[in-house]
Amino acid sequence: MDRIAIVGGIRTPFCKMGTNFNSLSAQELGRIAARELIERMDLDVKVIDEVIFGCVGQPAEAANIARVIALLAGVPKTTPAVTVHRNCASGIEAAVNAAIKIKAGLGSIYLTGGTESMSNIPFFFSKAYQEILTGISRAKTMPAKLQEFAKIRPHHFLKPNIGLQLGLTDPVCGLNMGQTAEVLAKEFGITRRAQDEFALASHQKAIAGRALLREEIVPVIPGPKYKEAVMDDNGPRDGQTMEALAKLKPFFERGTGTVTPGNSSQITDGACALLVAGELRAKVLGMKPLGYIRSFAFAGVEPDRMGIGPAHAIPMALKKAGMKLSDVQAFEINEAFAAQVLACLRALGSEKFARDFGYEGYTGEIDPAQLNVNGGAIALGHPVGTSGARLILTMLKHLNRHNLNCGVVSLCVGGGQGAAVVLER
Amino acid sequence: MSVFYKEEANIGTVTFDAPDSKVNVLNADTLIGFGTILDGLKNKNLKALVIQSAKKDIFIAGADIKEIENITDEADAKAKAQAGQRVMDTLEDLPFPTVAVIDGAALGGGCELALACRWRVMTFNDKIRIGLPEVNLGFVPGFGGTYRLPRLIGLQQAMKMIVSGVPVNPQAAFKSGLVDRLYPAVGLQESVREFIEEIAAEPGKRVLMRKGPKGLAAFLDNHPLGRMVVYKKTIESVQKATKGFYPAPLKAVDVIRKSQYLSREQALDIESGAFAQLAVTPISKNLVRLFYLTEKYKKLSVSGAEGIKPAAMSKAAVIGAGVMGGGIAQLLSNRGVWTRLKDINHEAIAKGLAAAYDVYKHAMKRRKARPHEVAAKMAMITGTVDYSGFADVDIVIEAVVENLDIKQKVFAQVSQVVSPKAVLASNTSSLSVTEMARVAKDPARVIGFHFFNPVHRMPLIEIITTEFTSQQTLVATVAFARKLGKTPVVVKDAPGFLVNRILLGYINEAGRILSEGGTIDEIDRFAVNFGLPMGPFTLSDEVGLDVGVKVLHVLEAGLGPRFKPASIFDGILPKKLLGKKSGKGFYIHGKKRTVNNEVQALVKAGGKVTEHEAIERMIYIMINEAALVLQEKVVDGPDAVDIGMIMGTGFPPFRGGLLRYADSIGIDTLMERLEALESRFQDGRFKPCDYILELKKNGRQFYT
Repeated sequence: MDRIAIVGGIRTPFCKMGTNFNSLSAQELGRIAARELIERMDLDVKVIDEVIFGCVGQPAEAANIARVIALLAGVPKTTPAVTVHRNCASGIEAAVNAAIKIKAGLGSIYLTGGTESMSNIPFFFSKAYQEILTGISRAKTMPAKLQEFAKIRPHHFLKPNIGLQLGLTDPVCGLNMGQTAEVLAKEFGITRRAQDEFALASHQKAIAGRALLREEIVPVIPGPKYKEAVMDDNGPRDGQTMEALAKLKPFFERGTGTVTPGNSSQITDGACALLVAGELRAKVLGMKPLGYIRSFAFAGVEPDRMGIGPAHAIPMALKKAGMKLSDVQAFEINEAFAAQVLACLRALGSEKFARDFGYEGYTGEIDPAQLNVNGGAIALGHPVGTSGARLILTMLKHLNRHNLNCGVVSLCVGGGQGAAVVLER
Repeated sequence: MSVFYKEEANIGTVTFDAPDSKVNVLNADTLIGFGTILDGLKNKNLKALVIQSAKKDIFIAGADIKEIENITDEADAKAKAQAGQRVMDTLEDLPFPTVAVIDGAALGGGCELALACRWRVMTFNDKIRIGLPEVNLGFVPGFGGTYRLPRLIGLQQAMKMIVSGVPVNPQAAFKSGLVDRLYPAVGLQESVREFIEEIAAEPGKRVLMRKGPKGLAAFLDNHPLGRMVVYKKTIESVQKATKGFYPAPLKAVDVIRKSQYLSREQALDIESGAFAQLAVTPISKNLVRLFYLTEKYKKLSVSGAEGIKPAAMSKAAVIGAGVMGGGIAQLLSNRGVWTRLKDINHEAIAKGLAAAYDVYKHAMKRRKARPHEVAAKMAMITGTVDYSGFADVDIVIEAVVENLDIKQKVFAQVSQVVSPKAVLASNTSSLSVTEMARVAKDPARVIGFHFFNPVHRMPLIEIITTEFTSQQTLVATVAFARKLGKTPVVVKDAPGFLVNRILLGYINEAGRILSEGGTIDEIDRFAVNFGLPMGPFTLSDEVGLDVGVKVLHVLEAGLGPRFKPASIFDGILPKKLLGKKSGKGFYIHGKKRTVNNEVQALVKAGGKVTEHEAIERMIYIMINEAALVLQEKVVDGPDAVDIGMIMGTGFPPFRGGLLRYADSIGIDTLMERLEALESRFQDGRFKPCDYILELKKNGRQFYT
């Protein structure tokens, strides 16, 4: 059987919004990862059938950003490219999309990945101001222009709509992502302390795993200053303490809430590239797969409980794989919010939950020692379009490092979805 | 016959199509042929006359430079220009519309012919260049260009085109009003026919009357006072650029100024007079020869390797991300070559990337490059601290520190990781490429590839072959140099190769003159007066004295005591007065550059070297060394020396090159002076080499 192989992957360091990668666009981050993957694999770019990249906040100046990345990375102009968007699972969507195309016989080598520059998501003018501006440019005479001009008020440009804020707010239920985490915290009774402890562990694991994470990172020298190389993720805090976490105020629900910036994922820039190939073709080309996609699943959930997505997607994917949860040796569940991950663990461990949704036999307790072993998005950061690809890469490196056979990666997805992929070697 | 006439539906067509040639030129025969056709049309009543070329990418490349080169008499030159002017006048005076259809280069006489037509249409062909480059050959346009161009496109734009000699592309030509319309090359015949219908419908009216200049531009173009400003400013900028060594641009300004209010006949008389005056000068002859020389080197082929097809080079690795490595990476990326830039740590790579970006940044400032282009080009350079990505490179360019041990280590290592087809090149400026080849897995693929600093500006590359270098390697490398837009000179592996060997003799001599009691800025000024782009001490400060002395030691070890560094350098080096990089050298490089008295104080006072003597010593020592280079067959002839010195060091082009200059002195005088200097210093450095003795014995010169 021709399995779907991941034959190589590399990512940039993840840098907090407004720090080292402030000057790098999403397309630049994407091309750095894509090009480095090509270089390190000595990949003949002519064999690539298509380039598929995920990106949530696509820059206005780089429509179909996958095509821009492909061209900047030296993929032949004759090779097509497509951008995919499944919100926080866009990076997974890219890899899965390739898998589907390979299975459908459309091609066999796909350069995939995800990219996100949350530092560069623009601010928008209000519709009212936009109409004034177009009115000015449409007005034929000077007096008419002045008349339009006179409609401008300071709030038109002093109070723009912040793109990032818009993106992190669910347009249907109206809740901010953090507020959806508060919903789960209340529903599952997840305390502030439990969330902070989870966050602390994430930082500690990421700091301890720094050398291991370097194996998946290409150092980046950000232009246009080219001053120094960024070697590591800059999110993990050495010496993070419970006291420091406890001091932070709930951000999304003042007073009564439990979700703080300290136990939420960081807003981050970064990109990751993965080469997805049909197993047979990969062998012909002499490539050594890191591992294989055994199955995947996407689940829909209530938008205001979007964080519960993994609890549904994981058993669905395992069912497709014909595996039990206890067969899995490692888990990467994206840490959008500590509350949300903990809620998923509770749900997965609950027999009632399994019964209610018909997941019997595919759920169970997850051993914390098998979960996010080198830290997660609370420490490393969550460049939304990239994280899915990063989880696959991190998991495959981990499986290879410890000679494990099976791992599952999963994310909750803004808008109310869950995504999960079962990986094997 | 190289010009043909055809008539169909009352539309005449003149086609230039020189037999057995890829280009059309306006030589005497062609002009006569064209004139005869025009004479036959004078009394016809055609709907239109179309003038076109049958050559791909060429309309008319210009007048025949060979014919001009051979003119030695001013009256002949004037007659030649007048003959051409008369034909253009006939063309201009035809009683029906005339249309030049330009789908290729229209330079010099070709442009002037187009100017004499009533209309000019052009295609979007990006090979098209139109302009009047005559000043580059040391003369002014002679077929009415100085008269017609300002009247067509305005004084300022015409002045710029004629004085700079830089031709323009179709878009610029259209914008300036030089051409009336641009068409796609596909379906050109049909478009021209439509154009003719259009102008026939409204005779006398220019179809595409662009709005004339407004405001200040109109004042400068048309008002007598404005024009005076233009003349004055142009003369100032020309004088600044040419330092008075090149008379043609100034003469061009003069001709345009004098003829601005004159009739065609009088104006053309002034033009042909100026042309004749300039065309017979030695400066013009040198520039014409230099033109041939650069053309030759543009097409340089490796003798005995005609059948070998150069391997394509689309990806390179540069090892060493210093100033040179960064500069090379920039050039490679700018020419569309994917580049893997390796150094031992990321800090070094960052510096290399910054150096590359700096070049692009300046280009953007001067609007020579746009941000999105720069982003895409910088994306072609990726850094690495290991040999990843090396397996599929076509060429490796080593630019690590100038230390043979380290370079040998690099060659030994890298030849293990690259494909068996990759060329392994060293950018060494003085170390033995042969020694590097010895440690490589396949010495046949090792070659020297010596760039000059700053890489993006210096047009020369020395390609250094060893006894092992294969023809395939050489052919590929020569082709690659050309792909990078550089002029390659092939040199045998010998200490200092070609340019540095000759140049350092000159710098060393300047050091000796200084030790004897010269002054730093005075010696520099002498060199600049001679026409060099900068004096020896300014140059040393640019490069770094430590670098120069290091090469001098290499040369001393390999070639003998004449390269022993001048004693004054020994006094400066310990003080770390290295030049620009250390802030102080022969000069203090502050906001304003001043002579460094600390160095000047090392000189014993009182000695005085005249300008004549200083130049003689600095230049003749180079000539003697160049002769030795020929004697040792380091290069294949005087051409290589001259192109190398002009492009590698900026040796004044108007002097034709170092050995052209030597020929202008004459071997007898040269020998006499060298011997006199030798008997004065008695250390062998001015002793005429055997090559010169041989030339004298046979009554020959370097070039004849």
